[in-house]
Amino acid sequence: MIEFKRISYQNVQVGEELVSNDLVVKPEDIDTFAYAVDDHHPWYFEQSPFGGPIAHPTLLANQALLMRHNKYIVDAGLHAQMQFEFIEPVRAGMRVRTRGKIIDKYERRGRHYMVTAFETTEEDSGQVLMRGQFTQMIFPD
Amino acid sequence: MALTNHHSITPGAELPPISKPISQRRIDCYSGVRPKSIHTDPEWAKKKGFAAPLAQGMMSTAYVSEMMVRLLGEGFIRGGRMSVKFVKPVLAGDTLTMHGRVKSKELEGEATRVVVELWCENQDGVTTMVGEASGLAAR
Repeated sequence: MIEFKRISYQNVQVGEELVSNDLVVKPEDIDTFAYAVDDHHPWYFEQSPFGGPIAHPTLLANQALLMRHNKYIVDAGLHAQMQFEFIEPVRAGMRVRTRGKIIDKYERRGRHYMVTAFETTEEDSGQVLMRGQFTQMIFPD
Repeated sequence: MALTNHHSITPGAELPPISKPISQRRIDCYSGVRPKSIHTDPEWAKKKGFAAPLAQGMMSTAYVSEMMVRLLGEGFIRGGRMSVKFVKPVLAGDTLTMHGRVKSKELEGEATRVVVELWCENQDGVTTMVGEASGLAAR
């Protein structure tokens, strides 16, 4: 059982591991994302060069970003930096999970930041789909 | 994998900009509605010091992806990279315009990596995001 703590600069630790919930990517997830970002490229709904439809490359970005919510109470957070590497296309029907590690935390101009490296995999095959790193501001209470 | 031919891509060339009105409904769909969220709860956003709910910075990475898929197609879906900084908040009701300019072309194995410089502006011309993205084209 997880004991949720309120997120703070003191509570997060470099080296700490984070993990998302599993998600089965559904066609409706791709539909919703397409509406949200107003990108209706036919590869996401019809045939693509990869054989069948695929998902938007950044569909699973929030799975990575929200990993800290599985351990902490997060009232607000600002996203400062994002890096992605897209390795294989995501498709509906995949069961995906993101694992991450806090690799740095620092203070700059009176604000606190945490840096997380992550990797998203298709759980059934172990295939890495995407990896990257992001920096989030830890909001003061 | 059939990659775009790099000869059709010229360093210095500006890519067609992409404009996106950021409605609260689109933010809700992107972030998922919940109370105590600076993205979807206007009162909570005010409490945290913002005039309106904020779009997640991550929404802008989707616009980068759209621009890069238009440019490179398969070579961004498999082999794409992105590195961006979110420099100003984006509020519900803003309109963003994503800009890109081809920065360089570099040999990478059997392909050519095309690097694009990116910047995103709101309706007032304020830069909200800067960075680079790249993907693969045929050598």
